[in-house]
Amino acid sequence: MTTSRPAFRAGLFAALPIVLGYAPIAFSFGVAATRAGLTGAEAVMLSVVIYAGASQFLALALVTSGAPALVAAFTLIAMNVRHVLYGPALMRQAGSGASRRHAWAWAWGLTDEVFGQALGALARGQRFSESYMFGLGLAAYMAWIGGTAAGAWAGGGALDRWPAVSAGLGFMLTALFLALLLSVLSRATLRPVAVAALACTAGSLALSPAWGILAGMLGGALAGLLRR
Amino acid sequence: MSGGLILMAVLAGAANWAFRALPTILMRREARPGGLAARFLAATGPAAMATLFVAALLPELAPAPKAPVPLLAGLAATVLAFLPRRSVVAATLSGALAYGLAFAVMSAG
Repeated sequence: MTTSRPAFRAGLFAALPIVLGYAPIAFSFGVAATRAGLTGAEAVMLSVVIYAGASQFLALALVTSGAPALVAAFTLIAMNVRHVLYGPALMRQAGSGASRRHAWAWAWGLTDEVFGQALGALARGQRFSESYMFGLGLAAYMAWIGGTAAGAWAGGGALDRWPAVSAGLGFMLTALFLALLLSVLSRATLRPVAVAALACTAGSLALSPAWGILAGMLGGALAGLLRR
Repeated sequence: MSGGLILMAVLAGAANWAFRALPTILMRREARPGGLAARFLAATGPAAMATLFVAALLPELAPAPKAPVPLLAGLAATVLAFLPRRSVVAATLSGALAYGLAFAVMSAG
């Protein structure tokens, strides 16, 4: 295992696009949460404890609709089942010698974007390091919590005077996912990528975005089982 | 702070931790190279990235394109900035900057 400050710092730096992507979304969540009647402390608590973007926005809808806590919790849990694949997929790419001694801690930060960034780094030839994972995950987590707190504090309309800035920030995650996709794209991954894109499009348009995401991930992963 | 809200958050957060950490911690052995599990896991990452990109892109396009010129500018800048050094940081920032600039130009025009 590589446990070093440079690896930790490299993780922090690699998190920059995630930080820039998370901050405005978390800001929006903070605004939406206070508009939904939550206090600033409750909004931040949701970001600290749940730490999953789409789930948190859904949590607001469930809470304001008066859904029982257990029903709301199980709905949120179902949304994030896809994350079970991320750790094993990352460790497979990291190779047999990769340490997972501190995975109980750094894996908490294994969101879609952190997973994509880490996988892309490995695909570009970087060695797996738990310190790097800590740096990457910590920066993203802090951006999420900080953005939520700022949004809850500022309230609505903070970016209304700067529509172009708001638009650019809104495009940040799309650009990040495209860059991450490019970083893992190769002849070998073309089929899973194409199947995932088609399945996600079909599922989203025919059913809902949540079903589209599930269809894309499962369809693409299953496409990897087919031999060329 | 509402007790129901805390209960919901703790249950959802505990499940998120379990989904993210337990498969990594409990993975006792590597998948056999070339085996079904290895091929499935190898395809998971690219499939996830393609899915999340499409999921982020679709609301911009359907039911009707919202801002086609900024979108094209953002996508093109992301790809062009990625190619020289394969830098995710540079590509993401360039894409967002191009989108914002094109949005400003279109709004002014």
